[in-house]
Amino acid sequence: MATQPQITQTPEMITQNALVATVRRNTEVTIWQRVRRNRTATISLAAALFVVLAALLGPLLYRVNPAATDFAALNSAPSARHLLGSDNLGRDTLARLLQGLRVSLLVALVAETINIVLGATIGVLAGYFGGWIDNILSRLADMLFAFPGLLLAILVAAIWGPAITDRYGGVGRLLLVATAISLVTWPLMARYVRSQTLSLREQEYVNAARALGSGDWRLITHHMLPNLFGLVITAATLDVVGVIVGESVLSLLGLGTQPPMASIGRMISDAVPFFARSSFQVFVPCATLTALVLIFSFLGDSLLDILDPRGR
Amino acid sequence: MTTFLVRRLISLIFVLFSLTFVTFMVGHFAPGDPILVMMGPHRDPDTYQRLRHAYGLDKPLLVQYAAYVGGLAQGNFGLSLRYQGRAVWDLIKGGVPVSMGVGGLALIISLLIGIPLGVVAAVKHNSAADRTIIGLTLLLYSIPSFVLIPIAWLVVRALYDAKLPAPPIAGWGTWQNWILPVTILAAGSTGYLTRLTRSTMIETLRQEYVRTARAKGLRNGMVTWKHAFRNALLPVITVVGPSVAFLITGAFVVENLLKVPGIGFLTVQAIGQRDYPVIQGTTVLLGVAVVLMNLVTDLAYTVLDPRIRLE
Repeated sequence: MATQPQITQTPEMITQNALVATVRRNTEVTIWQRVRRNRTATISLAAALFVVLAALLGPLLYRVNPAATDFAALNSAPSARHLLGSDNLGRDTLARLLQGLRVSLLVALVAETINIVLGATIGVLAGYFGGWIDNILSRLADMLFAFPGLLLAILVAAIWGPAITDRYGGVGRLLLVATAISLVTWPLMARYVRSQTLSLREQEYVNAARALGSGDWRLITHHMLPNLFGLVITAATLDVVGVIVGESVLSLLGLGTQPPMASIGRMISDAVPFFARSSFQVFVPCATLTALVLIFSFLGDSLLDILDPRGR
Repeated sequence: MTTFLVRRLISLIFVLFSLTFVTFMVGHFAPGDPILVMMGPHRDPDTYQRLRHAYGLDKPLLVQYAAYVGGLAQGNFGLSLRYQGRAVWDLIKGGVPVSMGVGGLALIISLLIGIPLGVVAAVKHNSAADRTIIGLTLLLYSIPSFVLIPIAWLVVRALYDAKLPAPPIAGWGTWQNWILPVTILAAGSTGYLTRLTRSTMIETLRQEYVRTARAKGLRNGMVTWKHAFRNALLPVITVVGPSVAFLITGAFVVENLLKVPGIGFLTVQAIGQRDYPVIQGTTVLLGVAVVLMNLVTDLAYTVLDPRIRLE
């Protein structure tokens, strides 16, 4: 499936688990110590860091132009000249892969930033104040949830994409794709945050802080937000998987990055017509994408475990 | 029950309203003048005004939206920008049975395989069979559909080389063309449904009433299927609606890579031609399909769970 349904845990479950964790936070070990004790978390975190480093430093170390064509080596197998072979135009696969990684991670970063800023802010406000803010949030979320999967992102990228590319270039296009994908994900984040804020609001320590004279602003920034941190990071990590696959689907359909910029999805769609001649060119981006999906799924799942001591 | 139905109907209307409203707005505020694009190099102000009027673009925004929704209610998805005078519905109606057939078959197959497999894994919890099923379904569920396609092609090539019957790798027309798209679409949701069934089934098998049933001396099969399975099935049914949404995203990829002339294929063609009304039309169509599927799921849930009916 292109995007994974993320319904294995209801908002209430995640909230409860995170809540138990936050309440115990001070009496037990820190999150870092728990990450180190959890083998899946350690390995997937290391793998994620490796991917980020490869995307950042890779193009600096492997200085091959990803758009340069080499007509002496079309659809070539891995060799000393092209470490991972080349595609149908003789472009170096490794160089394109590193650029594609950058694209995937940049889109994920922008989409998660929007997701966290918008989702967490509106979620906290809706949970803390209730009333009309809460009503508007629920209606807005319902409205965006009406669009199944990537449909809204496909619509937005299809209709706005060409003009944005003309005006702002390739990076503008990437920002549009990231925004289009996060349009349908932030309401989910807002719901998670909202339901945890609702239960945090009733905690004894919040009442105590209020009795001591803390205002709304101080209560939110000093007593709510620190306790929402774990939940937000976990939800965002799990969401990264959907964003990376979503960007690949959009690029595969020709809606994401435009030539000459490479992206994992575009590498797949470029290589598919030549599958019979060089299937290796299809498998390199496919394997990379699968690895990314697995790394971020395991990282998110183990963060969930770490935040939920009862799960073990 | 009546209040539930009324509440459900109101939310249905709201969701349909948002679906059409957002779709309309995305198209309306699209950069670029669609009429100018349509006219190409001919810049005749008279024709321009006439076309603007013909497409209703000279009316106020809300009137345009009302006309759009009114048209949709009568099955009129508007006019294509690319093929002058042709209705959007004419262009996409051919894809509807194709997509419904492939997607529906994939859903049925994944239910027929996923649910029993999940029950088996739960009954044999922590055994070798359970671990195999878990590992396999984790792979199916996390590998995106477009990665499964090249893998499937390799399998087809191996079959072909071994002179065994092999399905065609792409195209449409014969029944053999259904094999690959249906299998690939079904793979992801099978993985998901298996894992979900397994976890709810394990939870249910731990319940007191299951222990009571065993204590009464009922046969194992009786306990598993009559007492536990029926209750474990409820959460599984709730995700059938959402999984249609994911089948649709998968269908975009599968139809385009395997050249299946369904809705996803036609939409991407329209994207290439910048035919916005067609893109809007398929968005609304697919959105409505998901909304209706969710409604059917909810109603099925009500019928199966007396606690909701009595509320």
